[in-house]
Amino acid sequence: MRTIKLTLNGSPISREVEDSRLLVEFLREDLKLTGTKESCGVGVCGACTVLLDGKPVSACLALAVHADGCAVTTIEGIAEGDRLHPLQEAFLAHGGFQCGICTPGQILAAKALLDAKPHPTRAEIQDWMMGNLCRCTGYYKIIESIAAAAGVE
Amino acid sequence: MDGTNLSGKAVGQPIKRVDGILKVTGRARYAGDFIVPGMLFGRCLRSPHPSARIVAIDTAKAKALPGVRAVLTGADVPDTLYGRMCKDVPVLAKGIARFVGEKVAAVAADTLEIAETALELIDVQYEALPAVFTAEEAMQPSAPVVHPEPVELLPGAAAGIHGELKMYPPIPNVISQLNIGHGDVASVLASAHKIFEHRFAVPAVHQGYIEPHTCLISVGTDGLVDVWIANKGPHIARGHMAAALGLAENRIRFNPVVIGGDFGGKGSLMDTLLCYHLACAAGRPVKMVMNSFEELTAGNPRHSADITFRTGVDRDAKLLAIEARVIFNAGAYAGFVPVPTLHGGYGELAGTYRVPNCAIEVLRVYTNTVPRGHMRAPGAPQVAFAVESHIDMIAREMGIDPVEMRRRNAITDGDLTPLGDKRKQLRCLETIDAGARAFGWDKPKAAGVGRGISIYEHPPGNFGRSTVALTIGADGRIVIQLGSPDTGTGFHTIAGQLVAEHFGASPDEVDVTQGDTLTSGFEAGASGQRLTTTIGQAIAAAADKMKQELTTLAAERLNCAPVDIRMGDDGSFSAAGNTIDRRTLMSWAATRGRAPLSCQGENKPGPTDRTSFAAHFAEVAVDRETGQVRLRRIVTAHDIGTIVNPITHQGQIEGGLIQAVGQAMTEQIVLKDGAVITAHLGDYKLPTVMDIPILETVLLPGGGGAAPFATTAIGEMSNVAVPAAITNAVFDAVGVRLVALPISAEKVLDGLSKKAGIA
Repeated sequence: MRTIKLTLNGSPISREVEDSRLLVEFLREDLKLTGTKESCGVGVCGACTVLLDGKPVSACLALAVHADGCAVTTIEGIAEGDRLHPLQEAFLAHGGFQCGICTPGQILAAKALLDAKPHPTRAEIQDWMMGNLCRCTGYYKIIESIAAAAGVE
Repeated sequence: MDGTNLSGKAVGQPIKRVDGILKVTGRARYAGDFIVPGMLFGRCLRSPHPSARIVAIDTAKAKALPGVRAVLTGADVPDTLYGRMCKDVPVLAKGIARFVGEKVAAVAADTLEIAETALELIDVQYEALPAVFTAEEAMQPSAPVVHPEPVELLPGAAAGIHGELKMYPPIPNVISQLNIGHGDVASVLASAHKIFEHRFAVPAVHQGYIEPHTCLISVGTDGLVDVWIANKGPHIARGHMAAALGLAENRIRFNPVVIGGDFGGKGSLMDTLLCYHLACAAGRPVKMVMNSFEELTAGNPRHSADITFRTGVDRDAKLLAIEARVIFNAGAYAGFVPVPTLHGGYGELAGTYRVPNCAIEVLRVYTNTVPRGHMRAPGAPQVAFAVESHIDMIAREMGIDPVEMRRRNAITDGDLTPLGDKRKQLRCLETIDAGARAFGWDKPKAAGVGRGISIYEHPPGNFGRSTVALTIGADGRIVIQLGSPDTGTGFHTIAGQLVAEHFGASPDEVDVTQGDTLTSGFEAGASGQRLTTTIGQAIAAAADKMKQELTTLAAERLNCAPVDIRMGDDGSFSAAGNTIDRRTLMSWAATRGRAPLSCQGENKPGPTDRTSFAAHFAEVAVDRETGQVRLRRIVTAHDIGTIVNPITHQGQIEGGLIQAVGQAMTEQIVLKDGAVITAHLGDYKLPTVMDIPILETVLLPGGGGAAPFATTAIGEMSNVAVPAAITNAVFDAVGVRLVALPISAEKVLDGLSKKAGIA
């Protein structure tokens, strides 16, 4: 057990965790933030993507102790009150999801891209999103949603 | 309600999904997101043998581990067998394990980690038995018999099947044998101008939903069983669960959850019965989540298939007779499938063609491999790949353009399908032509580039019960209660739009809810591209009743007879120059204790002569040095009815199409000595965002579906026949015919080498 301190969705928190606790378990079970999804458990599908100091990581591979001293952003933390993040608005308007299970991961991966590069090309969006699987949409509307949020053609 | 006089506010509008805000904010609650007090974690131990006798199981060490609350083996659970049609699946293996991955013991513990540790402490002694892996071997007289005991069937096996169906016929390991057809195939083949014989193989693929099978069960002190499960049809699943456990249906409550993808794979109980027994044994709620290794090795993937054709044609390449046989490998259990044989496997085996003489045989066969289940349009993708390749091969061998071959033989308005079903308002030729034009079928192309076509017809599902309840409150808002989850298709959103259209309302004025199985009306759930049709009918029936109630109220308010009331397009009620809107009327009704108003509606299942049709065109570039196939472009053309929501409609087309691209290009469950070795998402390759071709969709509106507002189905239309368009394009590019999926560089290179050898 050790104590970790992190900034979670903008608020500082401190928690005791087992050394072996996975970040996804820490978020979903200890903090009850179930917006982060777990699927493949081996870092392939991207459903558990969260941001660690702005960079996308698979929370099923990272340990909770890796988040010590970091800013952690989950899907619960990107809207400002009732005002959705532009990516959330764009996914809604352009049909960027269907069943929704991969959507938190897709939106956070896209946020990391747009925060670093606000106006990527479609090819850059496609290349960046390679690590997030979606079985429902065929990806076309995910690319369209991200491009719309970024204001690019 | 023919779709020509829409309000412009509801049906046809790109409305945002009703579950949208919950899904983009992470607040949508899937089965795995529910936590109940005292909840334990369940895990199971699986057999490493394809066929083995379980000699002994020692659970003493596991039981002694602190934090372990229950350990079960086959000896601890009832003998009841589960099945949606063939009742052959035990809760835990009893004495015999029939595939690598079969559950032999289970643990419930305080944490997942303790449960996993406990599994390692269980000692199982096996005695290996002879095993059989391919359907062809399993049908041999000397083959080991996978299920020596007779299997009990749910009644109604032959319902809806118009052929000769034999369940468990006297052929080793055969579950079902269906023979169907018409005409005189033998004598027509004897005198045909040419006969073509081809054979195809399609591997098992996984549904690939990102949410694994999940269930959480809590048994209340009053005996009420609460269930949170990733299941597409809670009312049907509850019935199966009640029957297997000997409980009354109203003692089980399936709670509403959001489903993280289905694609046909979430209709079974999977671990539900085991989870219930663990919860009872531990006296605590238990949650079970399959991990991705278990999903890929022991889920319920699509049946692999071996398909053969013998087809006779005349001098003009018109089809005279088709003799076709498909053998489906069903794996070790048949219980995951709710039908005796895969409907698409026989109904679509002879394609969308005029076939005056036809003889079809379909077999499902047990083997000691992962049990197969349902995946979208069960049986159809396998046989569509085969028949659309076969027709292409005939065209090529007779020197006929593949598009012309289809135009010559495709059924048109008023024709019968190969199985003798009537089809009306079918626009095959118009759709093929529109697609070919958009694609540029006749335009010149570079060396190494190839183009292929495939076509597909499938009626909307007009079967199974759909029930909805409408309620209008004192504020005039309309609530629709549905009985099954939206698996991702958008059907909850569509239901809201259909309701709004009936009342001249905006979808904003409609609240879409899903009830639990104690409070909601029966809903059979997503299946066979049925919901837009069946829910549409149920909503129309409920709306009719509701309009009568509103008319009665309006007549009282306006002091006239109900027959004098007219309902306006905007949903208001008028008589003799007086008009009252719904909100004002209901507000008045409330002051008299007459609000809310509630009405139920049910669908009317039955045969349909309307259908959906699609033509697909693919362009590939093949590297002759490496055999690598690059899928460059697809045009998918659809004969459609009224679109309820353009966003979800197009979403269905795109999603289905990329699943088909996966089946064509990369996906395959690979078995070695009966065990699945593509057990990791790194090995089982789902398409990523980098694998999608340039896509153009061509829609031919006005097709006039049979459902209210002239809607029809789109669900499976972009999925089923697409792989053959791609393999046909590979042949067009380099002359290599792929008769087995998926396409791989090795297969293409092997084909190129053989051609070079012959030349």
